[in-house]
Amino acid sequence: MAIELHSFLKDYFTAHHCEIISNQDGVLQIQLNEKMDRALMNRPFYWHYIKNMGREGDPMQLTLITNQEIQDLKGERIHFGSPRLQQILNHLKENERFTRLFQVVQANQNTALHPWLVVNLKISYIGKHKKDEIFSIGLNLINGVMKTEMMDALHGIEFGMKISDFCYTITPIIKPQSGYKRILSVIDQYISDLDHDWAKESLETLENEMELLKHFYEDEWDEEIDQMEKELQDLKERYHPKIQVNIVNGGIFYLNGNFIN
Amino acid sequence: MNNIEVSYDNNFINDLQEKLDHDGPFSSWELFKMAYDAELTTFTKDFHGLRALEFLPEMNFLPHQVQTAKQAIEEMNGRAILADEVGLGKTIEAGLILKEYMIRGLAKKILILVPASLVNQWVKELNEKFYIPAATFKKHYPWDSYDIIVTSIDTAKRSPHREAILDINYDFVLIDEAHKLKNHKTKNYAFVRALKKKYCLLLTATPVQNQLIEIFNLVSILKPGHLGNYESFLEKYGKDRKKINQDTYLKQLVQKVMVRNTRKDTSLNTTKRNIETVWVDFTDEEYEVYNELDKTFQPFSSFSKITFLRELCSSREACYLSLQKFVNNEEHHGREILQPIIERIGQLPHHAKAQKVVELIKEIGDEKVIIFTEYRASQLYLQWILQQHGITSVPFRGGFKRGKKDWMKQLFKDRAQVLIATEAGGEGINLQFCNYMINYDLPWNPMRLEQRIGRIHRYGQEKDVHIYNFAIRNTLEEHIMKLLYEKIALFEKVIGHLDDILAELKIDSFEEEIQSIMKESSSTGEIKIKLDNLTSIIQNTHQNTMTEESQYGN
Repeated sequence: MAIELHSFLKDYFTAHHCEIISNQDGVLQIQLNEKMDRALMNRPFYWHYIKNMGREGDPMQLTLITNQEIQDLKGERIHFGSPRLQQILNHLKENERFTRLFQVVQANQNTALHPWLVVNLKISYIGKHKKDEIFSIGLNLINGVMKTEMMDALHGIEFGMKISDFCYTITPIIKPQSGYKRILSVIDQYISDLDHDWAKESLETLENEMELLKHFYEDEWDEEIDQMEKELQDLKERYHPKIQVNIVNGGIFYLNGNFIN
Repeated sequence: MNNIEVSYDNNFINDLQEKLDHDGPFSSWELFKMAYDAELTTFTKDFHGLRALEFLPEMNFLPHQVQTAKQAIEEMNGRAILADEVGLGKTIEAGLILKEYMIRGLAKKILILVPASLVNQWVKELNEKFYIPAATFKKHYPWDSYDIIVTSIDTAKRSPHREAILDINYDFVLIDEAHKLKNHKTKNYAFVRALKKKYCLLLTATPVQNQLIEIFNLVSILKPGHLGNYESFLEKYGKDRKKINQDTYLKQLVQKVMVRNTRKDTSLNTTKRNIETVWVDFTDEEYEVYNELDKTFQPFSSFSKITFLRELCSSREACYLSLQKFVNNEEHHGREILQPIIERIGQLPHHAKAQKVVELIKEIGDEKVIIFTEYRASQLYLQWILQQHGITSVPFRGGFKRGKKDWMKQLFKDRAQVLIATEAGGEGINLQFCNYMINYDLPWNPMRLEQRIGRIHRYGQEKDVHIYNFAIRNTLEEHIMKLLYEKIALFEKVIGHLDDILAELKIDSFEEEIQSIMKESSSTGEIKIKLDNLTSIIQNTHQNTMTEESQYGN
């Protein structure tokens, strides 16, 4: 797992400005705020009613137990795969798609920040079976320098939503749209350089099964032509190889000029 | 490479540009990074393997279940017949496979067709064990608004549902009790064939009941042409179900789309069944009444007499009520003969079997016990007598609404020591938390006894199970017990094959067969001889099929 569950949850609720009431021995008690209650607790009628009454409403508390040894405590046991964690992960994936961030710089003289387009993307290879690959790519919108494993490179740097004192941003020379195109064309090149044995296998299976299917309908070609067409379509859906490139998230990062090198 | 469809997300950058133009809203660095980590945590690195196992750390899968799921996904590409013997966890295997496809993002629209009586149980298991948010169909909700729906095939195939469902592109279709689709001329069969589906699982414990063409029909739902077309198959294999063993080529073909685990080759053997016959003697008074009723020939057919005798072996109440009903019917004669017997039944002391039940439960101690009886009057009586002895019990009947059934099951689990069920109530409830069962009266069809035992001796049972079969000496029950149960040694061997054997012998209903023996015999001696014959035939056929069976399946 790429995350340490307990601290991940604590960071998540802290980042959403929820008060952590207590946190020890793998038990996390959180006071939700209205926004997070609405996002996680699935009680739209309550909020509808309370707002109609013109009242504030009482967001709930949540007790999450990550320590699997604890048996007798009241609260939600949360682990990888549990509905609550899936809900939180999905909430993150759906809501944290776009950003614009400024590197925090302690400067006492004018400092220029360079705009970078950062794109985190997932390539899915879908044939008989499926697998994914994740890439994080950064593109300097001034000089066109491209960098892979961008998220790792950004690790440890402090970022804010507002620009630090004495800093100013350089206007991009490359527009985000064209930067994005450059990134996708690199991905495109990467994909076409790969050996796609999985796709060949999948196509072979598709053809074999299409042959069988036609043989099956040999004698009743006319009556059941619709049924056969449907089944051919089912086969294509199941086996025809596809690659999907989806964006996990991305945005514009303003970074100190000495970021690379 | 040219054959691969590649698609890119083209909206992302426009959406980002719009946010930049409007100055947000933007994610903070912490949340942005967490969303990326969330993706790193959930993405699928390899084509192979079961990711679902990481997502379900609280489930203890048995080795054969994991193996079956892998085989269905990796070798059969998501279209398979799961044909394990009863109680080995076909539902668990199916849930695991479905979960895997959902995690990989390959299944979103999912249709699960099961017998009406099992709908709620499927919904519950998928939600609780697999965290799969399945729902039941509710009126006034359009079909396409559900992502994961569990419903019965009878509901689904009716207009206007039928049209709505056939319009939807399902990623995954699952059909439980799929042997009901063995006939390709039925509406159910045509409906399932017509569904638009990518992955498809058929669950059945009996893939071939009568004829080989049945397996052809099941396979043709999953992989039309795999076994040739209808005419060529029929020509080559005819209607003989034995050929599946003779023809290794056919067997291999079938194994490419079907997984069958048997109790013998799985680790489920670890929990044992202890089966004990509990012989009970009637009191003298009870024997007198029993014999008198047995000698009474006249007013009714021998078949109703057998029913009355069976009832008397169960409880005074059961017999009293139906005799009374018989007498009250104007069309029936013989009131004069029966009235004294009815009165004597009314004066009998407590039933010998019921007293034995109380004794046995006290011996068992604090453990949960399930009692099966054939009669509702006996059910009420048992509940009363247990209560007299300070033993808590809850009733369970087929006629209960689903909600009441669930509630009774919960009461049994949390509050009561004993659950008293009538036959029809046994279907579809799983009581793995209980490992004692009393068969207060024995059904005439051993398959039904197996189904009863299957309620507690199944996947999830962690202790050895104890089964007590009650029978009263020198009565009908003794014949049934000795001839049907002990002699065939059904518990050890035949069960699981009985379906096949009966099909082989062209016996449609075992129960009717026995009833007609009872009905058409004029003496106990004759009944004995006829039952004896029947059991020998079954034993014989069983030995033959056993040798076949060893080559069949995996």
